[in-house]
Amino acid sequence: MSFSQSKTARWSLIALRVGLGLMFVYAAWTKLTMPWIQVAMIVEGYQLLPAWAVELVAKTLPPAELVLGLWLIVGKWLPLAASASSAILLVFMVVLVRSFAKGMQIECGCFGAGDPLSAYTLARDGAFLAASLLMTWLAFRQRAQRLARNN
Amino acid sequence: MRRSLFHAALVLGAALSPAAAAGPGKAVGVPTAPIMVEVYSDYQCPACRVLFEQTLRPLASDYARPGKVYLIHREFPLTGHQYSRPAANLATAAARIGRYEQVAGALYASQEAWSATGKLEESALRALTAAEAAKVRQLARDPSVAAEVEKDVALGTKVPIRQTPTIILTHRLKQYPLTGSVSYPLLRRFIDELLAK
Repeated sequence: MSFSQSKTARWSLIALRVGLGLMFVYAAWTKLTMPWIQVAMIVEGYQLLPAWAVELVAKTLPPAELVLGLWLIVGKWLPLAASASSAILLVFMVVLVRSFAKGMQIECGCFGAGDPLSAYTLARDGAFLAASLLMTWLAFRQRAQRLARNN
Repeated sequence: MRRSLFHAALVLGAALSPAAAAGPGKAVGVPTAPIMVEVYSDYQCPACRVLFEQTLRPLASDYARPGKVYLIHREFPLTGHQYSRPAANLATAAARIGRYEQVAGALYASQEAWSATGKLEESALRALTAAEAAKVRQLARDPSVAAEVEKDVALGTKVPIRQTPTIILTHRLKQYPLTGSVSYPLLRRFIDELLAK
């Protein structure tokens, strides 16, 4: 890889991890400023989980998003953080596509209340997933190059 | 940012929708109740049926009638639903003679049938006496009933309501928008927490 290509990849990775990190922090903030039961109502709307799991997800997902967002912004152990980001966004995408295909009239809940599930939310979250997968690939490639240089 | 602005608009819009604007016979409980629950629904929407049958009915008996919640039903017929507006007119007409819950319940119970055939009145007025049914039929053609439905739609558009059903729950001037067929156990828990504050 040429010097300029390497520089582009490095800056792309920084932009992706900071951008997605801020997205996760914002997603967490919109939920943490709501009563947890309101988040639980959104989670329950997907009709996927039993009542105890709805409560668990409603209480743990917002802080988990906050931690993941901050982790991405800091950039430490990036391949792991990027993998976690891609995994969580992949799960969200599968759940959203399933619900949309079933014609469910529910809240996406991705960024708090007032966000109905629609083709727009699918496209938006699909774009986040694509960006996260690219970030993960770049993070692993960067680590492999660093290891090769050290050897 | 877009979400925050929308949420702020939703909250502000809901704050500007006074309880006094509830249509005659469309509210359960007393306006001085500590919590106000405004429900925007469309009779042809399946999630609205689930909300009405499984959540709003117990809410009315457990919280609204005892004076803990002021429950207001608002019409929000969606443009994509062919028979939603005539159904809203019938329900609003029934509310004028104090039979809203019976007619709304009948509309939801037979939603699939009249959504397919358009035979609304047969399904909706089954729960009424012949005299009541005749009165409701007559009132449903009254321009003031259509105007009342339109007023609810305008109110909902201003909130803005983006999907049905949407509940705007108000407690101490703070607004909580809840969309979809919110389950009764969670709504009850939420209301109990707010009442305990």
